Amino acid sequence: MSEDSDREAYKLPPTRTPHSDRITSVPNPVDLIQTAFSYVVDAPITFVREWIERQQAKNKFYYYHQKFRRVPDLSECLEGDYLCYFEAEAQWRRDRLVDQQIVEIIRERVGACKHREGPNHFQNCAKEMELLAQVTKAYQDRYGDLGVHGNARTCLMKQKHRMMEERKAQASESQ
Amino acid sequence: MAAMSLLLRAAAACGARRAASGAAGGTRLSGLTGTARLPGTLVPVRHSSSHGKRMFIIKATSFYDKRFLRMLRFYVFLTGIPAALFITYVNIFIGKAELAEIPEGYVPEYWEYYQHPITRWIARYLLDPPEKDYEKEMALLDVEAKKTELRLKELQARKLMRHRGDGPWYHYETPDKNLIDNSMKATPDN
Repeated sequence: MSEDSDREAYKLPPTRTPHSDRITSVPNPVDLIQTAFSYVVDAPITFVREWIERQQAKNKFYYYHQKFRRVPDLSECLEGDYLCYFEAEAQWRRDRLVDQQIVEIIRERVGACKHREGPNHFQNCAKEMELLAQVTKAYQDRYGDLGVHGNARTCLMKQKHRMMEERKAQASESQ
Repeated sequence: MAAMSLLLRAAAACGARRAASGAAGGTRLSGLTGTARLPGTLVPVRHSSSHGKRMFIIKATSFYDKRFLRMLRFYVFLTGIPAALFITYVNIFIGKAELAEIPEGYVPEYWEYYQHPITRWIARYLLDPPEKDYEKEMALLDVEAKKTELRLKELQARKLMRHRGDGPWYHYETPDKNLIDNSMKATPDN
């Protein structure tokens, strides 16, 4: 759904193919195949695509990502105020979608890092994997076992239980 | 006679192949549909490569099946082809929108949040803005909330009036006290 705007994560390192000195007079068949491909397949398709883009460039129009205003949370709603509940619920669902996309982006970054590093990914991707572990744990803590019928109210109750557990752990620690 | 049975078998095979090729091939433009062709098919004859024997093949009718497929193709393509042409025109000559940052001080219209031009058109001319849908839903919730509130209040009022008896409800008609005949209570020995 969304693309990672940080393309730095996907930049491959520069290739280190050495320049070859030819000692035979036999022409490289790979060159022939490449020129044949570029004439038969590449050039017509590029020509058609560029023609289409010239037609489309005559009247350009844009689309935007909608920015929603923040509304009072479910914890700030009075009891029985169903309109406040509705708006808080809608905001919670939007926030959950955003969080899902965040986790997805971090996962893609880890995948790209693994592909880039090859056999060294255990060492070189440690930061990305640590970040993924933290983000997934945070997502699981907040939205984890709410199930398919999870809504803002059940999420708030889960948060309340988490805070109670924390308080109990702190109290037992301080004793 | 023995050759006759072989011919029948060859005719049946030819008929099956023809039925299979007819189902897979579709219209054959090589032969004109108006020219008169003799019915049947040519079946190979032993020792004569020049001509075959013309056989009349008897098989179950495929008229109804063919008619169904013809009608299906016709009605699907009747709107399918104009729709496909229109969508191709829109995709090639109008093209999708590009993603851009919202400029300073500009509030985009509600249809400018979609990418494909046909989606934008539908959102602009056919559907209500999402803000209006949101407000419609909230209005519905508001009406229902007020209804529940009023119903609970009515129940509470009924309960209290019945219990305390000091309200306008729960008054029962009793007969007029002037209609009571107290004459049998006038004498003490009844």
